[in-house]
Amino acid sequence: MVANLVLLNIDGVECRYGSVKVLEDVSLSVKGGDFLGILGPNGSGKTTLLKSISRILKPQKGTILLNEADIYSLKSVDVAKQLAVVPQDTSIGFNFAALDIVLMGRNPHMKRFQMESEKDMAVARKVMKLTNIWHLAERPINELSGGEKQRVIIARALAQEPKILLLDEPLTHLDIVNQLEIMDLVKDLCVKEKLVVLAVFHDFNLAARYCESAILLKEGKIFSAGSLTEVLTSENIKSVFNVDAIVTKHLVTNSVFVIPLSPQKSSPAKKCSIHLICGAGTGTALMKVLLDEGYSVTAGVLNVLDTDFETAQFLKIPVTVEAPFSSITEKTHKANLEMISEASTVVLTSVPFGLGNLQNLEAALAALRRGIPTFVIEEVPIERRDFTGGKAKALLAELKRGGAEFVKDQNELLSLLNVSVEKLKTAKEERNRILAHLKPGEVHKGTKIKDKGEKK
Amino acid sequence: MSKDNVESTYFRRTSRWKLILVLLIFALIATVIISINVGYAQISFPDILTILAKQIPFLNGFTASSTIQPSAESIILQIRLPRIMAGVLVGAALAAAGVLYQGVFKNPMADSYVLGVSAGAAVGASFSILFGVSFVFLGLRLVQVAAFLGALAAMFLVYNISRVGSRVPVATLLLCGIAVNFFLFAVVGLLEVVAGDELHSIVFWLIGGFSNVLWKDIWAMLPFIVIGVVVAYFYARDLNLLAMGEETAHHLGVNVERSKQILLVLASMITAAAVSICGLVGFVGLMIPHVTRLIIGPDHRILLPTSTIIGAIFLVICDDLARVVATPFASTLELPVGIITMLFGAPFFIILFKRKKQSYSV
Repeated sequence: MVANLVLLNIDGVECRYGSVKVLEDVSLSVKGGDFLGILGPNGSGKTTLLKSISRILKPQKGTILLNEADIYSLKSVDVAKQLAVVPQDTSIGFNFAALDIVLMGRNPHMKRFQMESEKDMAVARKVMKLTNIWHLAERPINELSGGEKQRVIIARALAQEPKILLLDEPLTHLDIVNQLEIMDLVKDLCVKEKLVVLAVFHDFNLAARYCESAILLKEGKIFSAGSLTEVLTSENIKSVFNVDAIVTKHLVTNSVFVIPLSPQKSSPAKKCSIHLICGAGTGTALMKVLLDEGYSVTAGVLNVLDTDFETAQFLKIPVTVEAPFSSITEKTHKANLEMISEASTVVLTSVPFGLGNLQNLEAALAALRRGIPTFVIEEVPIERRDFTGGKAKALLAELKRGGAEFVKDQNELLSLLNVSVEKLKTAKEERNRILAHLKPGEVHKGTKIKDKGEKK
Repeated sequence: MSKDNVESTYFRRTSRWKLILVLLIFALIATVIISINVGYAQISFPDILTILAKQIPFLNGFTASSTIQPSAESIILQIRLPRIMAGVLVGAALAAAGVLYQGVFKNPMADSYVLGVSAGAAVGASFSILFGVSFVFLGLRLVQVAAFLGALAAMFLVYNISRVGSRVPVATLLLCGIAVNFFLFAVVGLLEVVAGDELHSIVFWLIGGFSNVLWKDIWAMLPFIVIGVVVAYFYARDLNLLAMGEETAHHLGVNVERSKQILLVLASMITAAAVSICGLVGFVGLMIPHVTRLIIGPDHRILLPTSTIIGAIFLVICDDLARVVATPFASTLELPVGIITMLFGAPFFIILFKRKKQSYSV
């Protein structure tokens, strides 16, 4: 490690506003080249932490050391040479030109009576080119758009030639292209110039993409700290934000990818179970929605590693599974039929059919034959997702003839389900009453035989 | 727009600033000389220049003073010139203080009334007018000393009430300032009610005017104003940074609380000195910085010196008007300059503001 890397050491910091503790026992240590994300819900102390580092709010307890010197004992000018802040709020009083504002970043490097030198101008030009605003140099700041203004503020921070950059939700006013450009630039400086970056993020995925490590704050304390994979787990997100989230690796960026789900709705349980026949992600959205609506959900047959399988695992939905990338075997098919027999209704999504999962379509037909109401979502016409040379199309036509309810999308399905929920429930009770007179073994046996017979 | 273009334009700005300052100084000198000519007694320009030249050590040998009447000389040197110099000094002081107040408070409405400075001066002056006009302190009239001390006392009062720990938040300062201001003007009102024969003097002082100015009043206050403006200029870049917001200024290396404290003390000292010479001349401190900002831009490194000179020119011209507007009706009547600054300054400001409104924001 290079010896002259900047080092920021925070130890046991506690901050209060009056009697309210906003930070408690926060300790962390970063050095040149680190990119640390600060995550946490509103009011968890993220901004306060940045304020205590930037000497706006002096901690009541604990120390903040910049290269082993107490940051509160240093002169403002000396701190400003090493530490720059991009604040949340960027209102600017008088109407200065963009270049003037960027040159203000040179203040800590200028003596009291000095005017801006050629060197200051060279630095300003460099950072304004980096942030892509050199062409706006002479424009008054109040005529610039939100994104351009934010770039000016970031350029001003960079003009300080800092070793540490604090970003407080720097991307609030920026569109997606601006966000990525700015963060790519900051990341680049972090890697090449060994800058320390401490950034408050609200977007997990942006944080995951740029930070190497993160701290997760909850009620002023560090709830979790470490690498992104350690911090951004669905358990942590659940306990800090009270939100369910699916955490995976993103396929393209290979960074942790978080899909937050909307907070659990408290619909009353409907005592009505739905079996989903899906696959390839066609059932993912539906699973969550149906659970939220209060239905109990099962699914199958799904291959292990299928998107719908992973969603089902996450949502703790019982699934009949088949080995990865394998055709459905007779054994799993039977198990699926058993699962279906417990359901009040069956829903078939717009899943593509190949020879590997054609039996799922037969399972739907079997369910219909046995009097279980069956819904078919036909978002994509069967012609476009039939890879069995017409067999799937024929089976679907048979489903239609057999009285399956065809709907065009998820919303139509939900409204139909909600209307007929009572009917579905009684239909199932009726069936169970009839079945109860038979012995358990006979039920399944009989069903199976009947299915096979009809298929032929 | 090539990059070299942007940079050279930027660096050329510094020489443009110097040119502007030189031109303004010439304009100020011209204004002063022309103003000497304004008045009831007609004295010709050649005579004026001769009389002035006589006062300058190296030039007095070249002048032929025989033709000039002694009365003209004393009118110019003892009556008109002190009055004009007071105008220069007070105009410069009020405008400079206005720049400082507006910069520190980041508020276009800020002026010497905000911290109760004017009100403090008014209380001091009213008291002294009521209880001892003839009293002389260190060769100065009591009213001047009392106004100066009253102004500073009010400023320290407001500043200390607003202090929260080691910080003085601007919003608190503004509110405390307004409260103290009302309180002090209530005291002035009370004094006016009981004033009787002295009411006229108090009212005149509150409007502000130069009719009784003496050289020694000017010499007494000159150091406060000159030192105040010069020291404030050292903080011009801090003012630019304060305009970005206190936290940002702090991040950019400004010792915010100290700069704020120094600037407010300087502004109040300058104001106190100015109002102690001539009473409460309104509107200069509020308007001149705005007008200058419209023309010159927001950079305090040029805004402060140009505002100072423009303030001086403006107040001298206003005083010329104060001396002559009423003469057609009554030859010896003259208006207090405070009335002129407001009567003519306000419409001028509104016209200018209307014309450049779209590009102006504070």
